[in-house]
Amino acid sequence: MIVHRQIEVINKLGLHARAAARLVKVCSDYESVINLHHGQKSVDAKSIMGVLMLAATQGSSLELVVEGEDAVAASDEIVSLFNNCFDEGE
Amino acid sequence: MLALYGNGVGTGIAIGVARVIRQSDHEVPHYDIDPENLEQEIDRLKLAIKSAAQRLAAIDAQLPDEGASEIRGILGAHLLMLDDPMLNQEPVSIIREQGINAEAALQQHANDLEEIFSGIDDPYLSSKSVDVAQVINRIQGALMEEQGDRGIWPEVEITEGEFDSEIIVANDLTPADTIELNKHSVRAFITNLGSPISHTAILARSLKIPAIVGLHGGIRFLRTGDLLIIDGKRGVVLANPDEATLEAYRIRKEKILRRFQELEALVDESASSLDGIEVALNSNIELPEEILESESLNAAGVGLYRTEFLYMNRAVIPDEEELYGKYSQILNQTSRPVTFRTLDIGGDKQIDGISANNLITNPALGRRAIRLCLHDLALFKPQLRAIYRAAVHGRVRLLVPMLSNFEELDQLFILLHEVREELRFQGYDFDPDVPIGGMIEVPAAAISADLFADKLDFLAIGTNDLIQYTLAIDRVDDEVNYLYDPLHPSILRLIKITIDAGIAARIPVSMCGEMAGNVRYTRMLLGMGLRDFSMDLSAILEVKRQVRLTDTSKIQPMVERLLKTTDQIQVKRLVDEINA
Repeated sequence: MIVHRQIEVINKLGLHARAAARLVKVCSDYESVINLHHGQKSVDAKSIMGVLMLAATQGSSLELVVEGEDAVAASDEIVSLFNNCFDEGE
Repeated sequence: MLALYGNGVGTGIAIGVARVIRQSDHEVPHYDIDPENLEQEIDRLKLAIKSAAQRLAAIDAQLPDEGASEIRGILGAHLLMLDDPMLNQEPVSIIREQGINAEAALQQHANDLEEIFSGIDDPYLSSKSVDVAQVINRIQGALMEEQGDRGIWPEVEITEGEFDSEIIVANDLTPADTIELNKHSVRAFITNLGSPISHTAILARSLKIPAIVGLHGGIRFLRTGDLLIIDGKRGVVLANPDEATLEAYRIRKEKILRRFQELEALVDESASSLDGIEVALNSNIELPEEILESESLNAAGVGLYRTEFLYMNRAVIPDEEELYGKYSQILNQTSRPVTFRTLDIGGDKQIDGISANNLITNPALGRRAIRLCLHDLALFKPQLRAIYRAAVHGRVRLLVPMLSNFEELDQLFILLHEVREELRFQGYDFDPDVPIGGMIEVPAAAISADLFADKLDFLAIGTNDLIQYTLAIDRVDDEVNYLYDPLHPSILRLIKITIDAGIAARIPVSMCGEMAGNVRYTRMLLGMGLRDFSMDLSAILEVKRQVRLTDTSKIQPMVERLLKTTDQIQVKRLVDEINA
């Protein structure tokens, strides 16, 4: 199963180191292959270096592509992580 | 002997042996590896990565449970990076393909990553290259340690000798470094980066050790094992001094230490003069963390909290909630009054998130401080709301900078009324009775201080700007700097006018410029009737000592004479007499 979803980065600092670490940890709990696309770039969401290199700032629009058995659950959790500003309050 | 100059932090002197923390790439060894030894070299790299991860985990385990979430988050990110194939696979390929040592391969990869990150056009995210560099440095440190070097942090206790401890020499110190620094008996540290208000400097002050920051590359002249003298007051590092210099500094160090202990003993003593006049000695702070130091020095309160710092070095200005959080954090740590000075920016004090016209020829006279704030309510209102809301957590006073006319004051009062109404309507918990004060730092305000005193709850004299504006000299302009004179009769008169206006209107008048923290002026100001001083944390105990040695009744007549003296040499002589 493949799930495509659009995500907007709403937290102020964008995908900075701590937020990226949260995202990577969440993604690593799933079997699915998880990729994030931003403009020309496409990275493995289980790699913190990759996520940092996405250079996703506040207001960036990302495309999430999840492929695997648990794709639906994974994409739900990832989207809500972004919408909750990575539990950092801003 | 070699002398290097930077910004000194703390007033002490340290004498010790340098330990240079390797952080720059030109120190990375570079050599070829024979083909049959390549796999062994790769194992060496893998082992180093593993031990770097163990180090980080060990630091994480030492963090306190509370209040360290930020550092813990960063450590977590660094651990993930160590584990990331994008970081740790490429150096392996480089070793294999180019037949070079692990350190060199790692450095090559670090340079490539650095290039990628510095290409990112966003100040927050491109600064993440710092995280990458720190992680790489951890691995380099582990590689060198395994090579027989004891590494950045010696595991063995430093032997007590003539020089009781080490002086850390680094390009910059990370939060993780500073935690390790705490455990070792470090005597001082010096860094290429950092300013007197950076976190590095605050750390030095909290450890009560001297530091020199902002050496701008100067540390490249220093080697581990060099004998160093650190003079925090003068901001100078002396490397491998001759015996005479060393002896002179040993004596000075002793003297400072004795004086320091003498001053420390004053912490719990009252700030009252020989004739029983109680004086309030307040602190000027810039960072929320500094409230702890203010408390430990037993300052009467915070006489000036410069709120600008939270707006600096960031692309987006802080919102009301962030300000409310930080302000509450300060107030929750003290039961003493805290005076919040509203944003004093614009003109020569630029901030990234706030666009300003850079073509102004005379920024000090331009749209700054309250002028800018009244012009840009989207900037000002969140701050006012945050201050009113935070005020329920402590004793708050609100101080407005650079007032020069009464329309500004009227606009301010209307705005404050509006803010209070909005907060009430929206159901926020806030304190509507926060006292409102004005900075007297424009000559126009000082001359009409009585009129301002009628409308305000307190006044605060800002001497730095008052002198600059009254004498029409730019303090940062070297060519007219010699005209900067706090003892010019006009300055003394404006100060006196303001103090008298406060006494007549029965409202407090404080002084928070540099003059307030300079012991040379303490007695004179007491003689002029000033009872409320606010100064840098480092000056509080010195000024307290001076207050306790002063008999104001004897000073007053001398000050009367001083205010009538026009000859500058005579003025200085009188001040010496007052201080005798």
